[in-house]
Amino acid sequence: MSLLAERQTAFLAAIHDDEAALPAGWGARQAAGMDIYRNNYRVALVEALKDTFERTARWVGEDAFERAAAHHVITCPPTSWTLDDAGNGFPETLAALFAGDPEVAELAWAELVLHRVFGAEDAEPLDAAGFAARSARFSPEDWDRLQLILMPRTATRLVHHDIAAIWRATGADHAERPGDALPGPMACHVYREGEQPVFVMAPPEEADALIAVQQGATFGELCAWLAALRDPEEAAAEAGAMLGRWLSGGLIRGLALRG
Amino acid sequence: MTQQDRTDAFSGFGLGLRSAHYRDFLEGAVPVDFVEVISENFMLDGGRPLRILEQVRERHPVILHGVSMSIGSAHGLDDTYLDRLKALAARIDPLWVSDHLCWTRTSAHNSHDLLPLPLTGEALDLVSANVHHAQERLGRELVIENPSSYLTFPEDEMREWEFLAELARRTGCGLLLDINNVFVSAHNHGFCADAYLAGLPLDRVRQVHLAGHTPGEIIIDTHDRPVAGGVWDLYARAMRQLGPVATMIERDGNVPPLAELLDELDLARKTAASLEHAA
Repeated sequence: MSLLAERQTAFLAAIHDDEAALPAGWGARQAAGMDIYRNNYRVALVEALKDTFERTARWVGEDAFERAAAHHVITCPPTSWTLDDAGNGFPETLAALFAGDPEVAELAWAELVLHRVFGAEDAEPLDAAGFAARSARFSPEDWDRLQLILMPRTATRLVHHDIAAIWRATGADHAERPGDALPGPMACHVYREGEQPVFVMAPPEEADALIAVQQGATFGELCAWLAALRDPEEAAAEAGAMLGRWLSGGLIRGLALRG
Repeated sequence: MTQQDRTDAFSGFGLGLRSAHYRDFLEGAVPVDFVEVISENFMLDGGRPLRILEQVRERHPVILHGVSMSIGSAHGLDDTYLDRLKALAARIDPLWVSDHLCWTRTSAHNSHDLLPLPLTGEALDLVSANVHHAQERLGRELVIENPSSYLTFPEDEMREWEFLAELARRTGCGLLLDINNVFVSAHNHGFCADAYLAGLPLDRVRQVHLAGHTPGEIIIDTHDRPVAGGVWDLYARAMRQLGPVATMIERDGNVPPLAELLDELDLARKTAASLEHAA
């Protein structure tokens, strides 16, 4: 490592850590300047987190959010050139800081992936008519090896709280804050409709199903997975219903046949 | 007209395109000669920001102004970043692409702040090599802005204007003269702002930035208020010496209604016009 590279590494370490020793030969002027760089760094990153996690901030309150954001900036310094990535890992930070309020991390996850999908590649979803036209001549073997291509950066996870209700409560209309957790977990899918990032709540098995599809599972494999999970005789119908929901929701942009 | 001819010939008055004013730019004729955007805000795969920028580009020339190239990084440039920037430039056909004389990252972390370089021969060699690399990778001239800074290094061997002049000579890069940054750094480090101007190769200056700052014992470059009187005075003195350049008002915090910024931009127009008449 060159001398300059060593100095830059030490400089950034000093920005990250108020207690870090300043380089030999530095006086009060440099120390005062370093204080400004430290402050700029933290303010810029906390502001970036506020922009991305606007509703999470409203949910937990501004002071609690700022403390959590400052903690995250210190414990997870950014590694990417884009401020859009400054929120990476923040839901996990919040999960640790708000262990008794697990809805906080779920809401933050939704805001993070909504932010990511905002700048995703443009794509046109496939509607039911388009799907029917493309699959009209599928043989049973074709259905088995059918792969669904999802809209870019579609994300999903299981949530235990009514994210839709929390979303409304933290929006401009200030709807009533929802209380307890959901009776059971639900899937939350995040994707983009046109230019608008959206999320939908869905039956819980759809989270694993969508992830499997994203990783290349075929429709046949989806049916087999559902058959193992539920009544085998209903698996194909259930997979079909799931496919119908994804098509009407606009989550699918294309089809492929494996092999 | 080649890209270089177009760059050399351009002059006018513009604003930074900020999200608060997207609607103004999309719905009506905004009286600016160009807009400047923060490159990184549009280095995306798709979505609304890119569509808006393309629509604005149909009406106005665009300058791509970056904050994350880290041209002074001793850990090398990020070619993935440069390739994304090149793709954006191909899509938008900007007047030019600029960034700052600073560093923002090490091999491990990014500061998202414009950090100062020691003004040494070692740093000059490094930044020159990085500018050469960036210009080659981007396939175009890079325009480098003087930063505002809050500390200088005991090991400094030259003045910032000497560093920039030699950088421009070695690499052929253009310069973006931020008048507010000269004012801020002159105050913070106790040098003469006019000596700074006198030491620059002014024929390499493509663009001038004007912005507001927060006064104090150490002035901070905050871009959150109108341009200060002392900066306007320095702008007038600079414009007497500069050839055709683009002048732009930067506002990043407390962004006011567009009309307020247009009024401020008119002050720049009037200042430049009065100098032409005087000449």
